[in-house]
Amino acid sequence: MNHLFTQAYQQAPWRLQIQRIGGFLVALVAVVIVAGVYLFISAQTATAGLEIQTLERERESLNRTIADRRAKLAELTSAGVMSQRAADLGFIRPDMSTAIYMVIPGYQGRQPVMIAPPPSSDNLPSPIIKQSYRQSLWEWFFEGVLGSGNGGY
Amino acid sequence: MAKLFTRTRIIGYFFALMGALILFQMVRIQTNVNAQKMSESIEERYGTIVRTIYPERGNIYDRWGHLLAGNKDVYEIGIALNEVENPDTLATVLSSVLELNYGEVYEKANLEYIEGEQSYVVVADFVSAEKVNELSAQYEQFENDRTKAKNSDSVQSMRGLHFVGHLQRTYPENSLASNILGFYNYRDREASTGYYGVEEKYNELLAGNPVKITMPKDPTLMEEVPNVPPGSSLVLTIDREIQAMTERIIDEAVKNNGAESGTAIIMDPTNGEILAMAVTPRMNPNEYWDYGNVFTDNTPFNRALSETYEPGSVFKVITMAAALDSGTVTPQTQFVDTGSIYVGGYYIYNWDRGAWGPQDMTGCMQHSLNVCLSWIATEMGPTRFYNYLQAFGIGRRTNLDLAGEQIWPLSLPGDKDWYEVNLATNSFGQGVATTPIQMVMAISAVANNQGIMYAPHLLQAYIQDGKQYNTPPVAVGAPIGAETAKTLTDMLAVSLESESSVALVPGYRLAGKTGTGEIPSAGGYETDLTNTSFVGWGPVDDPKFLVYVWLEKPTSDRWGSTVAAPVFSDIVKELVVLLNLPPDDTRHQLTAQ
Repeated sequence: MNHLFTQAYQQAPWRLQIQRIGGFLVALVAVVIVAGVYLFISAQTATAGLEIQTLERERESLNRTIADRRAKLAELTSAGVMSQRAADLGFIRPDMSTAIYMVIPGYQGRQPVMIAPPPSSDNLPSPIIKQSYRQSLWEWFFEGVLGSGNGGY
Repeated sequence: MAKLFTRTRIIGYFFALMGALILFQMVRIQTNVNAQKMSESIEERYGTIVRTIYPERGNIYDRWGHLLAGNKDVYEIGIALNEVENPDTLATVLSSVLELNYGEVYEKANLEYIEGEQSYVVVADFVSAEKVNELSAQYEQFENDRTKAKNSDSVQSMRGLHFVGHLQRTYPENSLASNILGFYNYRDREASTGYYGVEEKYNELLAGNPVKITMPKDPTLMEEVPNVPPGSSLVLTIDREIQAMTERIIDEAVKNNGAESGTAIIMDPTNGEILAMAVTPRMNPNEYWDYGNVFTDNTPFNRALSETYEPGSVFKVITMAAALDSGTVTPQTQFVDTGSIYVGGYYIYNWDRGAWGPQDMTGCMQHSLNVCLSWIATEMGPTRFYNYLQAFGIGRRTNLDLAGEQIWPLSLPGDKDWYEVNLATNSFGQGVATTPIQMVMAISAVANNQGIMYAPHLLQAYIQDGKQYNTPPVAVGAPIGAETAKTLTDMLAVSLESESSVALVPGYRLAGKTGTGEIPSAGGYETDLTNTSFVGWGPVDDPKFLVYVWLEKPTSDRWGSTVAAPVFSDIVKELVVLLNLPPDDTRHQLTAQ
């Protein structure tokens, strides 16, 4: 009786076969998707890595170029070159007897050079994350789409 | 019994066989000799590489931000031997563009490639970007021609050529202020370091901290290269225009007077900032390998701080300052000069061996009377006199921030080499040796009208991690009172005016003192050659500069008053213009407005 009862609710063999094949295919598809995603991410990572390498080389190169340009500018404006250029243009060296002095209100005189900010100055906080990533959907809709705000991209 | 070769089973066998073959191939790849080589090759290609990142060496600026020492972009030119296709083309182009020997380049380009042992050769280094651009253009030209050519054997090729960029130290002003800057032996690449001057003194600060990193070659494991901050940059107290002017005048003075060398220092006595320091000889630090040709026979790199000498009568400023401050004399104190004084078993004479009769202290300074100053020293007594000399820093380092400062120890009572006569000779700058920078520091206490001695220094600020740190002036002592300083300054101004010194500059009230120092030798003092000096400062009511001039062994004349004093005057005439210092009357009028 029990056997008969079980038999009454047993799936047909072809259905079980289909189920198993379907399960296998689902697992296979999942594996393929995971592998595909892995490959895609790996490829992107490798591309980004190569891009980093390229950008780092470019940064090094740019740093060298900046230093080089600074040196070239200094060569072009060196004391000897400037004196020669001034002489070629017909200027003569100032003489103490010809100098005229006058008071210029508010002029503090030549100030010492500040090539970089003083240590007491703090960098102003600059937004690291773009505004679009911090906006709520509501804000985005009203500010970005309807143009009531300044956007913020 | 089920059939062995049903259609389904045949397909199953086929796939099982394929699986077995794949498995076999996997095992074969893992164990094959070539597979091992491939694995090593992958490891080599995608393993890790250790890189040392050397930060950019810090720049050096003058007080107004003019670049005195920086870096420029240069390239190492090398050949990867396994990539070479046509050594002849490489040798022809490289020898032509870089002006190298064809045979040597060809030999390098034709070397056999031996993996791991001989794969890359350096052909040239420190090649300019312009030359590299020229080579790149030629390379591109050959590559373009290659695509058009039919017979690959006859194609010209520069394949194998590599450029590696790096920085080279450069001094845009060439020899200007080279005695202050020193030099950096950039050709030694990793063993490079600063020599002399600021480059040596602040080498660690300028060099920064090299960082060693291990980088994966696999691009998927690529990490960001840490940002290595450049070495600190320095802002000096030097004014480029004043330095150039001082060098020009001192060079002319050395030439015109047939002197062995010349030194001139300009300092702001109110804070110790060195505005200019010109010495001879100088070299172009861009060509530092010429050092041996320029500095022969142990010539110091910077005489201003590395060579001691007996300064002569400029030292009387210190003696008189000590005497006035200790109350031993006043400006009105009378001294009858008989032409000689007997001290410690020796007679001391004046520079002209003459007797100048009754003199007040201003007269003693004006006529630079050795006898009078010797008498003052004996009146002070050795203890008090030498205490003052030590307070003025004589015999001690000034700790000027340049490499190579030398001193001559001050002989004191009780020392083996001190005799009673030293008290007299020291009072007028003989038997005591100083460097020009020591004299400048000592006399600055008088010149600034405060009696405070400021440490002479060249560093105005340094820039580290993007911030500028200014260095404040440092007072290293107050050997005399402010009143003494003002009194002596006035005495020395009167002294210059009374003798109508050639050191005077119209419109500006200046104080100063000449010096003629005899030169000691193995057999006593040399009779013909002297060291001529002049120290002066002004304007006396609001001092802005102190100028010290030393011409070594001039052949035109032997006196400081005729050799060094005019040089001082020449410098001050241009200095007041560069400092925007109006004549005293004009200044008073403008101040009153």
